Amino acid sequence: MSASLSIQAVDKIYHPRGRSAVHAVKALSMDVARGEIVALLGSSGCGKTSTLRMVAGFEDVSAGAIALANRRVDRLAPAARNVAMAFEGYSLYPPLTVRENIAFALKRGRLSASDVARRVQQMAQLVEIESILDRYPNSISGGQQQRASLARALVRDADLYALDEPMGQLEPQLRAVLRGRLKRLLKDRAMTSIFVTHDQTEANALADRIAVMEGGVLQQFATQHDLKERPANLYVATFIGEPPMNVFDTSVTRTGDQTMFQLDNGPSFGFGDNELGPEVRQTIGSRRKVVIGVRPHRVVLGGGCGETARVVSNQWLGDQSHVAMAVAGKLLVAVSHARVRAAIGESVPYGLRAQDLHIFDPDTTVALAHGARAA
Amino acid sequence: MAQIEIRNLRKSFKQDAVLKDLSLNVEKGEIVALFGPSGTGKTVLLRLLAGIYPPDAGTIGLRGRDASGSPPEQRGIGMAFQNFALFPHMTARDNIASALTARKADTAEIARKVDAVARLLKIGHVLNHSPRELSNGQKQRTALARALVADPDILLLDDPLRNVDAKLRYEMRLELPALLKRAGSTVLYVTQDFKEAMALGDRIAVLLDGEIAQCDTPERIYAAPVSIGVARLFGDPTLNLVEVQPKLIDGAPEIVVGGAAIRLPESYAATCGGHYMLGLRPESLYLVDQEAPGTIAADLVAVTPLNEKSVLLFMIEGGSELLASEAGDRDEPRRTGPARLAVDLDAVLLFERGSGRRFVPADNFGARP
Repeated sequence: MSASLSIQAVDKIYHPRGRSAVHAVKALSMDVARGEIVALLGSSGCGKTSTLRMVAGFEDVSAGAIALANRRVDRLAPAARNVAMAFEGYSLYPPLTVRENIAFALKRGRLSASDVARRVQQMAQLVEIESILDRYPNSISGGQQQRASLARALVRDADLYALDEPMGQLEPQLRAVLRGRLKRLLKDRAMTSIFVTHDQTEANALADRIAVMEGGVLQQFATQHDLKERPANLYVATFIGEPPMNVFDTSVTRTGDQTMFQLDNGPSFGFGDNELGPEVRQTIGSRRKVVIGVRPHRVVLGGGCGETARVVSNQWLGDQSHVAMAVAGKLLVAVSHARVRAAIGESVPYGLRAQDLHIFDPDTTVALAHGARAA
Repeated sequence: MAQIEIRNLRKSFKQDAVLKDLSLNVEKGEIVALFGPSGTGKTVLLRLLAGIYPPDAGTIGLRGRDASGSPPEQRGIGMAFQNFALFPHMTARDNIASALTARKADTAEIARKVDAVARLLKIGHVLNHSPRELSNGQKQRTALARALVADPDILLLDDPLRNVDAKLRYEMRLELPALLKRAGSTVLYVTQDFKEAMALGDRIAVLLDGEIAQCDTPERIYAAPVSIGVARLFGDPTLNLVEVQPKLIDGAPEIVVGGAAIRLPESYAATCGGHYMLGLRPESLYLVDQEAPGTIAADLVAVTPLNEKSVLLFMIEGGSELLASEAGDRDEPRRTGPARLAVDLDAVLLFERGSGRRFVPADNFGARP
């Protein structure tokens, strides 16, 4: 499939008056396929919002090119790009009712009045604002304004939907249902979308692929499954996942046919060559130090496990247990969907399996191996 | 005798009754999470306890004595509030130490205690910064450190992790209970996050409409909420609500959901003829391969991964929506389209449609400990 949106080697440098330049986005290249939903995910200041604004045309690119539907758009005005944008700050027109605000987006089209009314109604229903369509923006709540802004973007026919924190302000009760409906709408109509969020739950729920950004640099662009199973580096590994991956500095040694990972100030874990294949051993090579990681959901708890550790906290959240244990002067977190009965201070058996192990280079932070395979 | 004993407390601001008739006990050494949506008066209650506002009616007992009329400084309560209230001209270290210097403690001893609490709260590296050089999360932890350093026997914490970023917030959620237990303080901990309330509280006091709607262990609040109002505040995603009218069919209570007749345990017989809302937690709905009595025909319209779970959005007969969740990673994601849903009858909750109160069956079914 050809790319619908193509971002090539884009930089964004801000020159604030009286202060040194800020390099907000660095050599960013990524493609979004037609009908694909992509999330730009990162903490504040990572460059995700600058990227979205450059795509929509509200910021110039400092270098590089952006193409949309096979035409270069980075020098075009926002209105000429055929991008529908929902802003985080809502930006509804105060003198217009919610209904007029949404319909306004369709004004330039050649739709009949009844078609406009039908589409507005349909979108209002989707985001549950039918009852406030005739009210003015300043008389509705922040969450309602956000939903109106979202409806105004989605009601249009556009080459790309650019959504800035589309559900940030929404009531949690509504969010889960709305996510499902929004995903269905975008998929059914093959609406190519790119949205910014700092919330990985939102990114996971909606996106086909997620672009993780940090310090203006794209760290990894992959499906949520690959971000969890094959994180490209330590930043992604310890950012993705709720809770994120447990990581430990280790020294590597060989004993017979075992590869031993000695945690700094902690226990040692050995894996036989039948568990940790030649590919992984080769990748580790002559390194004496590596970082090993295991996701909380993959830490094995219970009898038959080799090590024991003291429970520091054990929290039940209604549908999962989070158990933190003191290991190597840090916390090793295990998550189980079954209720774990272990008291604070108790010693519990736990184990790590070779297939769940992630190995990173401590200097470059780049991933060397995931499970039994090289990265 | 409870360490904190609140009796029939009332507080209004002009015409606005914030606390209506609030009673709550917190036992010595216990952590009670005070939880509720924003604007329900959680902060007002803490201020009444601290003595910053006088109550309109009711009493506040502290350590077995009536403290209703005592000024704040005589109540001996440690506090960390949302707006930090740090001294702007002092470093983070001096701000934290200010809780001890007032007591004329030994200088070396003060430094040792400040360092210890700062290490636990991960602000050891910014102790020499002034408040304006700190991020909001660091300011919040500095205020928390100041409250903790003096080892107060009663501690009021007003959403102390609110501005802390998600990762650190998670770590603090794991470590804070042990820290508080070690200090042996009696804690009232305000939060708007149900996971934080469940993780930190020995008990959770749910504040709704100016009253404590329920005060119980996290397990019981989740499995046996007293009302729809309480039930809806817990769970991610929260529970499904479906209108039902239980009827007695062949001697057994039965409800109809999405066209499927679902037989309830006999202890629900008393609900027959009434109007109820069926509450179903997403994890108590699961997919089955074959049509069977009591299973619901549904159309799977979207699959949204959520935190090691998948949330499945279904459309059922009559156009209403149901959310189900599945644990774990599937090798192949679920395909959208026709499906069948079964209900875990052990987890069924029925609420009276008028009052919203949960029907409690004779065997207290639905309230697994």
